[in-house]
Formats: sequence, C-alpha cells, structure tokens
Amino acid sequence: MGLEQLLPAIAGMTWQHLVMIGIGLILIYLAIAKNYEPTLLLPMGFGAILVNIPLSSALTQIDPATGEAVEGVLNIFFDAGIATEIFPLLIFIAIGAMIDFAPLFRNPSLLLFGAAAQFGIFITMIFATLLGYDIREAASIGIIGAADGPTSIVVASRFAPNLLGPISVAAYSYMALVPIIQPPVIRLLTSRKERLIRMSSASHNNKKISKKALIAFPIVITVAAGIIAPSSLSLIGFLMFGNLIRECGVLNKLSQSAQNELSSLVTILLGITIASTMTADRFIRTDTLIIIALGLFAFIFDTFGGVIFAKFLNLFRKEGNKINPMIGACGISAFPMSARVIHQMGQKEDPYNYLLMPAISANVGGQIGSVVAGGIILTLVPLLA
Amino acid sequence: MTSTIQTTLFIATIGIVGIFIFMSFFYLIILALDKYLPYQEEKPTEEFMEEISESEE
Repeated sequence: MGLEQLLPAIAGMTWQHLVMIGIGLILIYLAIAKNYEPTLLLPMGFGAILVNIPLSSALTQIDPATGEAVEGVLNIFFDAGIATEIFPLLIFIAIGAMIDFAPLFRNPSLLLFGAAAQFGIFITMIFATLLGYDIREAASIGIIGAADGPTSIVVASRFAPNLLGPISVAAYSYMALVPIIQPPVIRLLTSRKERLIRMSSASHNNKKISKKALIAFPIVITVAAGIIAPSSLSLIGFLMFGNLIRECGVLNKLSQSAQNELSSLVTILLGITIASTMTADRFIRTDTLIIIALGLFAFIFDTFGGVIFAKFLNLFRKEGNKINPMIGACGISAFPMSARVIHQMGQKEDPYNYLLMPAISANVGGQIGSVVAGGIILTLVPLLA
Repeated sequence: MTSTIQTTLFIATIGIVGIFIFMSFFYLIILALDKYLPYQEEKPTEEFMEEISESEE
C-alpha cells in the first residue's frame, strides 16, 4: 500500500495548499498578536486551514466509491447563510442594536461626511473596470471602500461570489488597519493650521435628545429608504430594526442579546463560512493581489473624499465656525476606530483640542453612508449593467 | 472608451450623487424629528405620582 492510499491528504498536498495554510496562520497571528479584527480574522484564518487540507470533509467532496457528492458542512453553511444573505443581514441587526444615533442628532450636518467618505467605492469601481473587471465584479471590489464587512459580503455574494474570499479578507483587514492607513493620507491633505481647528461646541455635545425622536428615527428612515430605493431595504431595514430594538426601551433583553449573543454567534459562522471560498484554486491568483491593492486604494480615496469635502465646506464657513478637515475622514464605517484615530491625531497637534464628539457623529454618519452606498450599488448595477 | 467604462462612470456619478441625496434627506429627517419631537425633561416619579393622586381626589 503506497503513501497515496495511507495518507491521501499528504499525497494531494500542493504548494498552493501550503501557501493558503500559511495565509491562514498569518490571519490567526494578526488576530491574536495584533488584535486586528480578531472576531473575523481568526475564524477566517482557521477556516482557510480547514479548507486547504486536501479531501477536507468540511467541503463538498466526490466519494470515489460511489461517485456521489458528499456535502461539506461549510458548503451547507455557505448556501444557507451567505448565498441567501442571511448571515450578513443578521449581523446588521446586531450592528443596529449597537449604534447610538444620538451623536448624529447633536451634529446632524456631519451626516454628510458619511456620503463624502464613500468616494473611494466609486473611484475604485472605475479603476477596477479599467483593469478589465466587468461591472458586477468592479462594484464588488469597489464596495471594499464601504469599510463595512457585512455590506461588502452582501454585494460580493450577489455580484461576484467567485471573488468573495479576497474581498472579505481585504475589507476586514483594512478596517483593522485604519489607524495605519488614515493618518498619512490626512497629513498629506491638510496643513497643521487646519488640523488645529477646534470644534468643541459644548452646547451641541451636551444637547439632550428626545427618546421619541430616537425611536421614530429608524422607522422613518426605513420608510423613506424603502420609498426611494426598495432594493436597499434589506440592508437599511435590518440595521434600523436592530436600532429600534435598542431604542424602544421595552426590549432591553433582546437588545442585549442582539448586541452580544446574536453578534457573536453569527460572526463565528460568518467568518468560518467565508473561509470556504478561500481554497487554493480560488485564492492563489493574480486577482487576489489586485483586489487587495484596490481595497487599499478604496480606503485611501474614502479618506481623501471626506477630507476634501470638509475643506470644500470650509470655503463657505466663517472663521471660528470652520470644520476640522480631519473630521471628514471619519465618514467611513469603521466605528469607533476612525473617530478614535482622528481624536488622537487632534490631541497630538493640540492636547486641548477635543474632536471626539464631532468625530463620533461623522463616524455614525459613515455607518449609515456605507449601508446606503451598498443599497445604491445593489439597485443601480442590475439596472444599468 | 468602451461601453463598460462608460456605464461604470455613469453608475459612479449617479451613485455618489445618490448618496448625497439620501444623506441630505436623512439630515432633513433628523432636523424635523428634533424640531417636532424635542427633548422634554421627564418629571420625577414622586411628582408624577402626586399628580395622579391629586387628579384621583
């Protein structure tokens, strides 16, 4: 009896499998040692190892004796949870339950940065098309710039399931790398004088918001979004449903469950299920490197869009009422990391400059903006492509 | 310029304008909610109970 019969997995191992196992180990290392999005990168890393051992029963295999397909558990999870979009939508309920929209009510104009900082999505989409990707693939790659994992998964699973693995890895990795990506771009685009602008309006920051307004907000937004773009409703609706559970005041137990148990359980399943697409034959391609490079491009141009929009608005604002352009960079969805990064940058320039509250307001705007961007892409691409 | 690039440019333009329209609309919704549902100081429970007992009398 040869090695092939005794240990078929070793016999079937190729260098591509070994590279993927190495990538899985790197993701696990980044999650544990560097604390980069550990809730997602660790399951994805472990899953990458799991699916790259030849003949892994976690994936669907053909039984050589009968010639019939034996379904792997990760394929079952994929078909049930990702292809149907159930897992990312459940995550949206959890995220909605975690978001406090009160900072937006205190500084509503900063909501617009949630639009400006989605610029990277569309410029990346154009760039991906120039590189030869079709519109559906380009949209899926561009959505990495939403800096919002579940939105990226929903768009990619609908338009380019073949690219879901690298898109998810890029989206979650760059979200974790916001403290490294944003500061140099912001420094390049702003002067020290601009970074020193103070926005500490105490009356705004302490303004109390009515409970009724916070309860009405998710309902009104859902109805409004549904009327304007019904295709965006699954994304926005689930986010707002989670938020209504949080704000209604009578479902505290459900709100806590959504924020903790639901979020944790679905995240585990989401991470390991995405890994089912990280097989060597699908991942070790030039495409993966291009997608990872384009993801970085998207994040850089998100920051660019937000900062330049703030500078543009400052052209029309009086001295003493100007916006610190760094706040524009918080319009991405990576919450609260981006707000924290900007606050720290502000403190580095001037220890008495407190940008945290406006930064959080813009960052919450970014959470809505990314979902709206996803909804718009889901509406426009099938119509026009 | 190929038709694919033209379509992508069109989607990108509509997309970015669309997000601004959406977010501006949401901005107006926030302003309206803040105006028509303003914060009101809640009465302390004791005061509330006193009012009820007075009305019962």
